[in-house]
Amino acid sequence: MSQLGDFFDNVWVDAFWRLLVVLVLMVVVVLVLTYVERKVIGRIQMRLGPMRTGPYGILQPIADMIKVLLKEDLRPATADRVAFELAPFLAFVPAFLVLVAIPFTEGWGVRVLSLGLLYFIAVSGLPVLGYIVAGWGSDNKYALLGAMRSAAQLISYEVPFVLAVLALSMLAGSLNLVDIVERQGRVPFIVWQPLGFFIFLTCVISDLTRRPFDTAAAESELVGGPWIEFSGIRWSILYALTEYTSMFALTLLGSLIFLGGWDWPLGRDLGWWWQLILIFTKTASLILFIMWATATFPRVRVDQLMAFCWKLLLPLALVQIFLNGLILVYGWPDWTLLLTSGLALAVAGYVIYATLRVRGPVRTIALRSGA
Amino acid sequence: MLGVLRGLAGTLSTMVRKPVTIQYPTVHRGLPERERGFPLLLWDHEVGEPFCTGCHACERACPTECISVTMRDNPLAAEEKSKRRKIVGHYLLDYGRCVRCRICVEVCNFSAITMNNTWRGHELSRYDRADLVMDLEKLLAQSKARQIEPWVAP
Amino acid sequence: MVVEEERDLETIDIHVNVGPQHPATHGVFRMVLTVSGEKVVDVVPHIGYMHRGAEKLSENMDYRQALIYQDRTEYLAQFNAEMCYVMAVEKLAGIEVPERAEYIRVILAELNRITSHYMFVGAFATDLGVYGTIFTYAFREREYIQELFESVSGDRMMYGYFRPGGVVWDVSADFKERVRWLCKQTRVGINDIERLLTRNEIFVARCRDIGAIAAEDAIDYGLSGPMLRASGVPVDLRREEPYSIYDRFDFDIPVGERGDVYDRYLVRMEEMRQSVRIVEQALEQMPEGPVLPEKLPRRLRPPLGEVYMRTENPRGEYGIYLVSKGGEKPYRLKIRSSCFCNLMALKEMVVGHYVADAVIILGSVDIVLGEVDR
Repeated sequence: MSQLGDFFDNVWVDAFWRLLVVLVLMVVVVLVLTYVERKVIGRIQMRLGPMRTGPYGILQPIADMIKVLLKEDLRPATADRVAFELAPFLAFVPAFLVLVAIPFTEGWGVRVLSLGLLYFIAVSGLPVLGYIVAGWGSDNKYALLGAMRSAAQLISYEVPFVLAVLALSMLAGSLNLVDIVERQGRVPFIVWQPLGFFIFLTCVISDLTRRPFDTAAAESELVGGPWIEFSGIRWSILYALTEYTSMFALTLLGSLIFLGGWDWPLGRDLGWWWQLILIFTKTASLILFIMWATATFPRVRVDQLMAFCWKLLLPLALVQIFLNGLILVYGWPDWTLLLTSGLALAVAGYVIYATLRVRGPVRTIALRSGA
Repeated sequence: MLGVLRGLAGTLSTMVRKPVTIQYPTVHRGLPERERGFPLLLWDHEVGEPFCTGCHACERACPTECISVTMRDNPLAAEEKSKRRKIVGHYLLDYGRCVRCRICVEVCNFSAITMNNTWRGHELSRYDRADLVMDLEKLLAQSKARQIEPWVAP
Repeated sequence: MVVEEERDLETIDIHVNVGPQHPATHGVFRMVLTVSGEKVVDVVPHIGYMHRGAEKLSENMDYRQALIYQDRTEYLAQFNAEMCYVMAVEKLAGIEVPERAEYIRVILAELNRITSHYMFVGAFATDLGVYGTIFTYAFREREYIQELFESVSGDRMMYGYFRPGGVVWDVSADFKERVRWLCKQTRVGINDIERLLTRNEIFVARCRDIGAIAAEDAIDYGLSGPMLRASGVPVDLRREEPYSIYDRFDFDIPVGERGDVYDRYLVRMEEMRQSVRIVEQALEQMPEGPVLPEKLPRRLRPPLGEVYMRTENPRGEYGIYLVSKGGEKPYRLKIRSSCFCNLMALKEMVVGHYVADAVIILGSVDIVLGEVDR
């Protein structure tokens, strides 16, 4: 028995089985999310979603997986061989790597890094490379247009994302994810940073290229974006795996740093099973919100997308940092955080409203008949 | 921001409503009695022959020319069992060409042809286009088995 | 220090083919956009993919058979197209239509206007990228109305219910209650959809000031219908030249101001509400009686002559020019198609906007390819 214990104390073996657990978790989550998305969107559209494969359609992800694996692997003859085959992996691997730094419960994560947040932000910016290489390697005008759009979008939205998260780490005083969760204690950071949360959520939806920010794969214009020429398993790596893994990872991050993670409420008191339940419920609620928003909004045009990021979100993120800085330096009490951040969010809402306000309804002419 | 929030509230309210779709092959929606499926010929159960006398009225009236009829002397009339002196010989109706306009039913003097208002008038997929050309037995089959209640226009 | 003068980068404009097979072109329609960066510099529409020879085929049909081609030409506002055709034949042959048939025709035509505008909203929102939410709502509402049409005429889409002289048979017994229920339900349905779109900031930002066309230009191009009214020209054929019994009803005509995509959307949504008003009034006033005149000849032979009849279809002015040589079949049946004329303004509207807007502008014209190509 002690030999077994020694075996598992070895650093490599330890890392290996932890990674294995996270890998299995990720695959299960992705399969579940494909099903959940179809059901949720079906419900919003007042229809049933998948129902025939298995009872209530729960075997649908398995059917999808089998279908995708059996598809013919097409590659355009003039496509750049290396770029074409490398692109899906360039997009997917960083999305999976971020899961390494996330603490799922108080004591368990693959590795608890003291610069966990920095690692997360750095690695989650890498899939952009995969999109660009995919667009270029496909030798297709539409793919290239889509890749350029998606590169512009993803890189632009990284900036407010990073700034909002940095503002938060200013409050917590550390980049270690476990510290941030524990620092929240009785009150999760969403209460102190509503503006930061709004920016974070918007940037997450944009990072996933979901509606309303899905110009990269605008189905009714460019039919697929950078992934037009990919089919079968390549496409599913790029689209299904990357997107759902990123969704999972980013919402995990959101629930850790904004919603109190596995700690609030009563996390440390009740043990690891309660912590797991907490963190997964919070992640699930964020994911459901993202799916809800996806089904509701029309697409934003690409120049409006850029304007929204650079002219609105970036100044707001800087304002949030500035306000946090003021409050920390002068040692004002915590409720001023809520006040200032909430005010700034209200101002942002008003600005959006004022620029786009519909000035009065369309006039109707009442022409009554003479007869 | 309010407009966006209003949109979210709208989809939230529809999320909790009952879905309006039904699962088609297992559940069939009810059809109104005036439903215009593909045409069928009617069988006169009292005498034991089709109502159709082969008078070519439907063939002339059909806009897509999908009907082909011949007329012959009725053997039952010689035996005094039927009042119809002429009866249909061959009758071919190409479901692939029919547009279900119901003009053939309107012009028929003998009420011998009707539109199929059951689901069998719609579920007619075939693998070969030639299988869609229906001959006399196929057109009379449903009426012989008394599985149709034709709707007569007022 | 010598600073080299800047030279502009040499760029070429690429041709983007929004081809016949595309999720957003509402049918088989091809637009070749010449794009410089993201801005559209030129647009060349190619039509004709759906030409099926409806006008020529009608020359071989007698007047009852030729009716079915009207359904199939304008396959989203079928009753309105049928109405124009039967009124043209009645005008030529001098047939009087009984009162009850007139009311049934108006009710069905206005309900068809509602379904057509629902289809517009569904397809338009899908062009914008709403992924099917508005589409399914619109089609759910449309389905209720189509069930009524099915119980009256027997078919969900190609009705063939009108005849020169009236309608082919009377409506079913539960017609009045069903239409009353539909009027209530339509109001709920329109609100459902408007709640998601009209004040939505993203929607407004996408549609405001896109594809605007001024009132004089609209008249010059020969636009009609909601496109003309959205540009500020208050012309509706149901008011200018009241046909059938439209002069007995009280309804308003929505008129826009700027002629952009947003105004067209608003005009169509408001038209749906006004159609509900018309239907309610018609239901109150509908008398009992026959639905076809008694002395209708079995084979209709209109006298020698020609007639042009125009009606206000959901997409604009739909006209039928009928020439008769006294026989059973029309000598010439020409369809003045509203979408064909509305498409002429496409270049003026699209040039100068982004590629994404080109698709939306095409969606706001609300074309039906069967009508454009006949």
